[in-house]
Amino acid sequence: MDSLLDTAPCGFLAFTDDGITVMVNATLLKLLGREPGEVQGKHIESILSVAGRIFYQTHLFPMLKMHGRVDEMYLLLRSKSGENVPMLTNAVRRERDGVTVNDCVFVPMRQRSRYEEEILQAKKEAEEANRLKDDFLATVSHELRTPLTAMLGWVHILRNRALDPQRVAHAVEVIERNARAQAQLIEDLLDVSRIVSGKMRLDVQPIDPAELIETAIESVRPAADAKSVRIQKVLDSGAGPIAGDAARLQQVIWNLLSNAIKFTPRDGRVQVRLERINSHIEITVSDTGAGISPEFLPYVFERFRQADQKLNRHHGGLGLGLAIVRHLVELHGGEVSVYSQGEGQGATFTVVLPLMIIHHQPAEDNSRVHPRASIVSRSIEVTQRLDGVRVLIVDDEADTRDLLATILKQYGAEASSAGSAQEAIAHLNQQPSDVMVSDIGMPDEDGYELIRQVRSLPAERGGNTPAIALTAYARVEDRLKAFQAGYQMYIAKPVEPAELVAVIASLLERNP
Amino acid sequence: MNQNILLRNNVKVFGSGSQPMLLAHGFGCDQNMWRFVTPAFEDDYRIVLFDYVGSGKSDLRAYSAERYGDLGGYAQDVLDVCATLDLSNVIYVGHSVSSVIGMLASIREPERFERLILIGPSPRYINDAPDYVGGFEHADIEGLLDTMERNYIGWANFLAPVIMKNPDYPELAQELEESFCSTDPKIARRFAEATFFSDNRSDLAEVRVPSLIMQCSDDAIAPLQVGDYLHRHLPGSTLRVMQATGHCPHMSHPDETIRLIKEYLTTERGG
Repeated sequence: MDSLLDTAPCGFLAFTDDGITVMVNATLLKLLGREPGEVQGKHIESILSVAGRIFYQTHLFPMLKMHGRVDEMYLLLRSKSGENVPMLTNAVRRERDGVTVNDCVFVPMRQRSRYEEEILQAKKEAEEANRLKDDFLATVSHELRTPLTAMLGWVHILRNRALDPQRVAHAVEVIERNARAQAQLIEDLLDVSRIVSGKMRLDVQPIDPAELIETAIESVRPAADAKSVRIQKVLDSGAGPIAGDAARLQQVIWNLLSNAIKFTPRDGRVQVRLERINSHIEITVSDTGAGISPEFLPYVFERFRQADQKLNRHHGGLGLGLAIVRHLVELHGGEVSVYSQGEGQGATFTVVLPLMIIHHQPAEDNSRVHPRASIVSRSIEVTQRLDGVRVLIVDDEADTRDLLATILKQYGAEASSAGSAQEAIAHLNQQPSDVMVSDIGMPDEDGYELIRQVRSLPAERGGNTPAIALTAYARVEDRLKAFQAGYQMYIAKPVEPAELVAVIASLLERNP
Repeated sequence: MNQNILLRNNVKVFGSGSQPMLLAHGFGCDQNMWRFVTPAFEDDYRIVLFDYVGSGKSDLRAYSAERYGDLGGYAQDVLDVCATLDLSNVIYVGHSVSSVIGMLASIREPERFERLILIGPSPRYINDAPDYVGGFEHADIEGLLDTMERNYIGWANFLAPVIMKNPDYPELAQELEESFCSTDPKIARRFAEATFFSDNRSDLAEVRVPSLIMQCSDDAIAPLQVGDYLHRHLPGSTLRVMQATGHCPHMSHPDETIRLIKEYLTTERGG
């Protein structure tokens, strides 16, 4: 019997309520590298790790005493050499020869323990990620709702009261500003989704970084002026060019500048510096603002993080801007870093981008102006006209049809509308259109289905009508799908009048 | 009487005496741990048992990580029970961390307590070199938290059925069911942190109620040096080193535990 116990493939030990070991098998001694005399007759604590001893006193022994048994307990034993040995422990309390003993079986679980550790770690990370997402979702809802409140409120006032023209102008301005703020939030969300799914694509061109920064400064100037924040620039015009996507790099600078202005108090100062250092350029944006606490510093560029998550969030925003900045800079082969001495001490963000390798061109090449560096400004003057152009608008939303028709008529177009794919086909059958602008998401037959039907029509019945897809689904794959279905152009909602007119004009130029 | 507190802390009152004896369980357990000693005091005292919020069969909805983030919140549980039952001249018996919890309660409302009986007490578990030996290093406690985490996750799920089907041990009370040790893992962790990371040495001098320190002769959790330290710094304390070993003499050596408590309450009373 004893030899059977000694050769069993698990450790065995019996102890009394005093904690004294009265029996131990050879397997356990071997697992712990101990001699029988070091365990037998000694306190069970002598083979337990320190944590194991506390657990024995606070859990294992009380449970045995109270429940009579313990199942699948994780317990850290200690070998003679001082190494912790994780054991899966089962124990039962029983009478033997008139004495109460606690019989324990130990199965080593070194491998399993490591595996368990990984699972626990993964669980913690998943819980943390989930918590961050929950917080983020709450923030998104809040941030999307805030501009809505202002917009709906003013719309209500406009409808119910006769306001003087000045107040009307103010109301419209507030509504527009808030709508743009919301559009920006949605853009950021889509950017994050592109980044997460690895679908962010760059349109790389040679860029003059000084020009890029100037344009970005111009676009944040109103926000800075409103707070009397002075923007100081120190730009080395000889730094560059660099290779990159102008729109995306401008987004980077714009984000850093907006942040700096947001966190800088009235009459503060924001400095932008551009320098060439060896084979790269360095763009530094520093401010005299709120600064960043040392604890938060490592998380500044993480998604869903914002330092004041738990406070009243008086700065608003989704906490996505800097995460987007980091990803965009890294996509350009660069690096972004942050420095702050602490709260109230201001912050400095530094973007490092590699210089473009240039093969010198003949001297007459002085027209090297970057084609994309000046981003279409928000309130662009439209010079094109659409006089006499027949546009068919297809959208199930009456408001959208109305809006588009109004815009197009302002530019001289003849707009007609259809509320569904079926109506659109009927319209094309009756009279030709020079261009069709169609929504994608419609009930019954959607915009994809519509264009397929149009393209199957003979040319004389409008089968070749140039078409523009119009939709709130603004992802790359949505765009691709639209082109594949038969559209020539694609415009994301919300529609900029200038963009709509320009796109129609350019489409007609290509398809005279 | 505030029924809410009685339900919240799963308060049990029994015994035929008039003077209250309030017994407070330690970390990892619940009031059931007292059942080996209470029969010896039932005839002479009014026995009051309870579970801290977050332990045993307390009302988990009353748990707040903030309130129970340090031992002060647990001391408030003791005082809430005392106030609800309108207790005075209390003989307070606290095991392990409940020793400190009882001291804190007695500092806040000394008039409620006549005696503190402290089983395996420690005012600080972690060593503070060079002068103080608590028995542990920070890393040891981290190891304990890890062990707890690995066990509690499983217990939360399987403990109940295992105990239910345990007919071989009639000595085990039916009422145990799922309560003992089957606390929510997060609550247990926070209790462990509040217990093992606390430092109550500076509170000792504030205690005005006379006390008995019951120090086991070989206790991994509260070593002999800790008992000596307490005795030196706790005004009006009596130190008894027990023959019992381990950290739970009221479970492993109930007879000696009962005898020492009775001796203290009879011979040293009023002195």
